[in-house]
Amino acid sequence: MSTTSASGAAPAAAGFDPVPVRRSPLARFTKRAARHPGFMAGAVLLAVILVLSIGAPLFTAHDPYAQDISRRLIPPVWHDKGSWEHWLGTDKLGRDYFARLLYGGRISLMIGAATVLLSGVIGTALGVAAGFFGGRVDMVIGYVINVRLALPVVLVALAVAALVGTSLNTVIVVLGLLLWDRFAVVARSTTQQIAHADFVAAARAIGCSTRLIVFSEVLPNILNPLIVVATLEMAHAILLEAALSFLGLGVQPPLPSWGLMISEGKQYMFFSPWVITIPGVALVALVLGINLLGDGLRDVTAPDNRS
Amino acid sequence: MAPFAYGKSMVFAAVAALALPAVSFSTAALANKANDTLVYASDSEPENISPYHNNLREGVIIAHLVWETLIHRNPKTSQYEPELATAWKWVDPVTLELSLRQGVTFQDGSPFTADDVVFTFNYVLTPEAKVVTKQNVEWMAGADKIDDHTVRVRLKGPFPAALEYLSGPTPIYPAAYFKKVGLDGFSKAPVGTGPYRITAVENGKGVKMEKYKGYWKGSPLGDPSIGKIEFRVIPDGETRMAELMTGGVDWIWRVPKDQADQLKAVPNVTVLSAETMRVGFLQFDAAGRTAADTPMKNEKVRQAIAYAVDRPAMVKNLVGEGARVMNSACFIDQIGCTDDGVPRYEYNPDKARKLLAEAGYPNGFDTDLYAYRERDYAEAVIGYLRAVGIRANLRFLKYAAMREAARAGKVPFQYQTWGSFSVNDASAFTGVWFKENEDDMSRDPKVRALLDKADTTTDSAVRKDLYKQALSMIAEKGYLLPLFSYPSNYAFSSDLSFTAQADELPRFYTAHWK
Repeated sequence: MSTTSASGAAPAAAGFDPVPVRRSPLARFTKRAARHPGFMAGAVLLAVILVLSIGAPLFTAHDPYAQDISRRLIPPVWHDKGSWEHWLGTDKLGRDYFARLLYGGRISLMIGAATVLLSGVIGTALGVAAGFFGGRVDMVIGYVINVRLALPVVLVALAVAALVGTSLNTVIVVLGLLLWDRFAVVARSTTQQIAHADFVAAARAIGCSTRLIVFSEVLPNILNPLIVVATLEMAHAILLEAALSFLGLGVQPPLPSWGLMISEGKQYMFFSPWVITIPGVALVALVLGINLLGDGLRDVTAPDNRS
Repeated sequence: MAPFAYGKSMVFAAVAALALPAVSFSTAALANKANDTLVYASDSEPENISPYHNNLREGVIIAHLVWETLIHRNPKTSQYEPELATAWKWVDPVTLELSLRQGVTFQDGSPFTADDVVFTFNYVLTPEAKVVTKQNVEWMAGADKIDDHTVRVRLKGPFPAALEYLSGPTPIYPAAYFKKVGLDGFSKAPVGTGPYRITAVENGKGVKMEKYKGYWKGSPLGDPSIGKIEFRVIPDGETRMAELMTGGVDWIWRVPKDQADQLKAVPNVTVLSAETMRVGFLQFDAAGRTAADTPMKNEKVRQAIAYAVDRPAMVKNLVGEGARVMNSACFIDQIGCTDDGVPRYEYNPDKARKLLAEAGYPNGFDTDLYAYRERDYAEAVIGYLRAVGIRANLRFLKYAAMREAARAGKVPFQYQTWGSFSVNDASAFTGVWFKENEDDMSRDPKVRALLDKADTTTDSAVRKDLYKQALSMIAEKGYLLPLFSYPSNYAFSSDLSFTAQADELPRFYTAHWK
């Protein structure tokens, strides 16, 4: 097991390949991915949301902040009173709901990506250090991971929001500083497997520096499981942001955020349920898409003999 | 085809399902006619039940259920009638002599005497008492006992609204009991002479009251009918509505316009709308306490904001029937309040942009708007400001937190509301927000001088003119932008007979079961 390379990129054991013309790792990945329905569904869902959010101005002419309180709470087009001008209706201040949904998607995606970037760097650095050096370093980092796991994320986030106030940046920093534990755990165990692999020993034997070994031998080989973790954590971060915004401690109005839209729609839940269902469905779709993609990615990138 | 187009019945089923846990929780204190328990719910909780130590409407309601004032203002005729005082006369313009009612007992059994009045007034005038709204008492210099049932209230100067204040925010405390338990003890187990007695104060949950059996006969408040009253704090508006629809509470208020319209169709629920004395307004850091270079210090910026907000549209679409656009920093029907000749700001975003450019902010600026209630209204203001280039973020806080932040000079501008403690006199509004006291964010000595003079002038024509001058100055400088008066939408169980008064003071002692 210790010599199992986690990706198809390792040329170490390529001697007895039965296929004469070896496909490139990318081609193998694409082929396996195309056969994986979950992966494809997730990728399509996420791609649609990404395109819609990033290209928001192309899909709607409405300004998500422009209010017209004489046109409040217009129902979506499938209602009797709906109209194509605001096909998803308007919110409590007469802002176009579709525009707010698209621009709100940007915020969700940005929070997800930024949080994962921050927590990924922290978690991977700690995990690789623990796995590579072992001994006391491992002990200390293991302790830090335990401390972090003992902290309830939402409670800490609520406390910080109450202390330093609420803003988009606070949400990203707080979540980024809290969600690195899985990165650390996964990076640590995969690094431990690789740290004693032959190719690492070989690199060491020819005199490579620790830094070079970590960056060019270890990191590329633990990247795939980390990408899987990143997708799952991204979904996690997006949900947490929605929860915090729902509680009034995340993104602040008038920024559109799906969590905030759900929170604001709560007031109209009884009589205008679409105000809450539309952002709710969007949030479910995004999180589902990311999770499907992550799950699929794990299967697709698993070594040949595992599934 | 229509995945979100629920039928109404389905919505109610969902409501019932959502409210189910709440109902099972509240079995201990069932609301309704059968139990003779009226449960009323509101969004906020007074920080301290002692009426002098909170300035929240929920506290004012309890103050009028549990305590009594010397004088009663008849809500129908606006005449002053005897309550704890049977008669009063002005000895001179700064001395009011009151004869006190005999045979009244506090809810702890002790008799009500001149000592209680003298103690209450002299106590609330001390700085240690830390009265939250000093305007309510500061017009007095003190109180003296003449005999067991006669007191004299000394005034700092002539104050034409004295009787109005004595009939509102100046309840009488039991001297002996208060001295024994102190403010802390008093706020946990309060005692008054009013028609209802507090049986439990539960922080974060509410207050339980029951009819005070020893309540004196012949009170202008009438003979209370309902046996038990319970005030329940439910911060979330939808939960309040769900509780009402499922019978967990009997009475809610401040129902937003949209929901009030919908609730009218719900069986067993009565919806009632009434205007109140509450005025919603924007108050600016004109004194520049948040930062020396805050845009709010600039008169033109404040005027630009006044031009940017479409108040008539807000009244029409958001606030609803019963609300009126206000142009003066007071409630228009208060004695002394006028908007005649006071500068007005119509909705004119172009002018707002021009003024902003003149003020040196052609591209607007970023700021924070603080608010504590009616988040929608505050967000609508933010939307209007954004249209002229001012990017405001909402900071939505609990009332006491916002008040303390504003008093500490940390608030660039806030969405405030003020119900004047239901005192029907302009001084109850302007005195709180413009007399260089802690709630005054503009701190203009000229405005204060005019108001000081107006508050103490007895000639009503001269007084009105002084208020007019002060109110004009406030409007001209844009220290405070009055938005609109508040209607209140009440929704309650159809078993309950309840009438609303225009002063935003639900009088549960006059309510009864049908």
